[in-house]
Amino acid sequence: MRNNPANIASAVLTYGFVGLMAFLSIFPFIWMAFGATNSSIDIIKGRLLPGEALATNIANFFTLVNVPLVFWNSAKVTIFATVLTLAVSSLAGYGFEIFRSRHRERLYRAMLLTLMIPFAALMIPLFIMMGKMDLINTHIAVVLPTIGSAFIVFYFRQCTKAFPSELRDAAKVDGLKEWQIFLYIYVPVMRSTYAAAFIIVFMTAWNNYLWPLIVLQSNETKTITLVISSLASAYYPDYGVVMVGTILATLPTLTVFFFMQRQFVQGMLGSVK
Amino acid sequence: MSELQLNGVRKSYGGFEVIKGVDLDIKSGEFVVFVGPSGCGKSTLLRMIAGLEEITFGDLTIDDVLMNDVDPSKRGIAMVFQSYALYPHMTVRENMGFALRFAGVPKAEIQKRVMEAANILELGPLLDRKPKQLSGGQRQRVAIGRAIVRHPKIFLFDEPLSNLDAELRVHMRIEIARLHKQLAATIVYVTHDQVEAMTLADKIVVMRGGVVEQVGSPLDLYDDPANLFVAGFIGSPKMNFLKGMIETGEGGTFARLPDYADARIPISLREATPGTPVTVGIRPEHFKEHGTASLDLTIDMLEHLGGETFAYARHGNGELVIIETKNGRGLKSSDHITARFDPGCALVFDESGKRLR
Repeated sequence: MRNNPANIASAVLTYGFVGLMAFLSIFPFIWMAFGATNSSIDIIKGRLLPGEALATNIANFFTLVNVPLVFWNSAKVTIFATVLTLAVSSLAGYGFEIFRSRHRERLYRAMLLTLMIPFAALMIPLFIMMGKMDLINTHIAVVLPTIGSAFIVFYFRQCTKAFPSELRDAAKVDGLKEWQIFLYIYVPVMRSTYAAAFIIVFMTAWNNYLWPLIVLQSNETKTITLVISSLASAYYPDYGVVMVGTILATLPTLTVFFFMQRQFVQGMLGSVK
Repeated sequence: MSELQLNGVRKSYGGFEVIKGVDLDIKSGEFVVFVGPSGCGKSTLLRMIAGLEEITFGDLTIDDVLMNDVDPSKRGIAMVFQSYALYPHMTVRENMGFALRFAGVPKAEIQKRVMEAANILELGPLLDRKPKQLSGGQRQRVAIGRAIVRHPKIFLFDEPLSNLDAELRVHMRIEIARLHKQLAATIVYVTHDQVEAMTLADKIVVMRGGVVEQVGSPLDLYDDPANLFVAGFIGSPKMNFLKGMIETGEGGTFARLPDYADARIPISLREATPGTPVTVGIRPEHFKEHGTASLDLTIDMLEHLGGETFAYARHGNGELVIIETKNGRGLKSSDHITARFDPGCALVFDESGKRLR
């Protein structure tokens, strides 16, 4: 590429735009990290440099919050939601793609339509349903509505299109039943798809806020998102402590993404190699 | 080794019939090749034998046992797929032993059978590799090995060489022929490549539009095709087809080529009606210097293969005629030639494509 003015201007614009987007993405993290080291007053004043209140903030956070219990609650809800969502949605996606029936597409479209229903419209019926089943203030109530995810079913169905039908035929000739084909062939072959779905579902479940806020009512059952929210909405919120809590709450999702990012990218690009 | 019979086998998808009544008898140890153009139903028929497609009507028996509703794994067949269909997450050893594991075969026996197959196919050094670490030819050998370890009654091959390059295809073709001899196995093989069919088969089944057009040995089909389709499909380059007319005259009944003054093909009157149009088929290699009939042609293009030359020549009416000659090195494009052939080698087909004898 020659260094003519048009090319230089184009490069400046491109890099300028990319730089701005990168800054907008990274800034909240920087603010969170610096905020955790500053006192609440400094944060309110808009200080954007590392401070000396990190130890105090951590100590206060551990004093105010029963950290092991809260993390255990979040972990329990997230792990059950993730495992069950992947199991149910991958089975549904596989079924939608593999088994032909006259009503398959109609049913599938009806399921996709549910993506258009905002959660706000579902909250009250769901709450009543959970109440009737006597599940209010239990983690089961948090997990149950999340496991039939239309988006994850859609994602698995799209990815299953790339699953070679000859593998299924070969497995049938080898004597496998349909459930064995799913378990012994489909699941390992589609592991990148599972990895990508795992990250998406894990993050969604870990960061889930609105539904747990409604359905979890005692401090013993609350998850990390609810606890941080309650810290931030106190009469005199300590933003340093909130920032410490936010960092700790972010760590699991960051760790999961860090260890699975290669599979995540593969899963997003197409999982069968 | 086993016998396989298809009796009036049909397959429909909704109202659309793709296999329109196939009767076939495959003897023990026979190498049978289903050949035909894309969409003719040969793969569907193979999948019906495998149990991967339901049979809409008719009977499929293996060793006189009705197999229509028997599970694929219990039919005593093993199948090799076009795309190899190796399980990507398993090693070669695991791929080959997988079916046996599910059949409850003891580990020691699995190991023994895998090693036997690996020795036959020279796969020993590759046993601990994953499929993605193998070349196309190696993957195909693993796919064949996976079939061998099951000790099937019948091997089914679905276009197994289509994904290989030309050189490897020839090599694997020889391997499969060697394997057939070594195992004395009954093999049903699907291909659209008639060279594969001619070189491998004991018996070729030519299919078109879900119908078996002809069954016979490769040379029977080549020398004595039942119809225009088989005559055109078997042989490379394909048979030349020229427009002709049945006439009677001095010396009996013959098919005359109106556009070629000196070409008359004598045929018996039994199936020929004077005055009806016919198609005359002449194979490229049947053009000989000493032939008694001749065609005046202009060379369009030449293919020099070293040992022989294919001349693509045209008549004034636009008909293309392919001529195989051993003495074609001196020929040039645009040369006018008189191509002579022995009328006794020519075949005559009626308007419906049926062979007139």
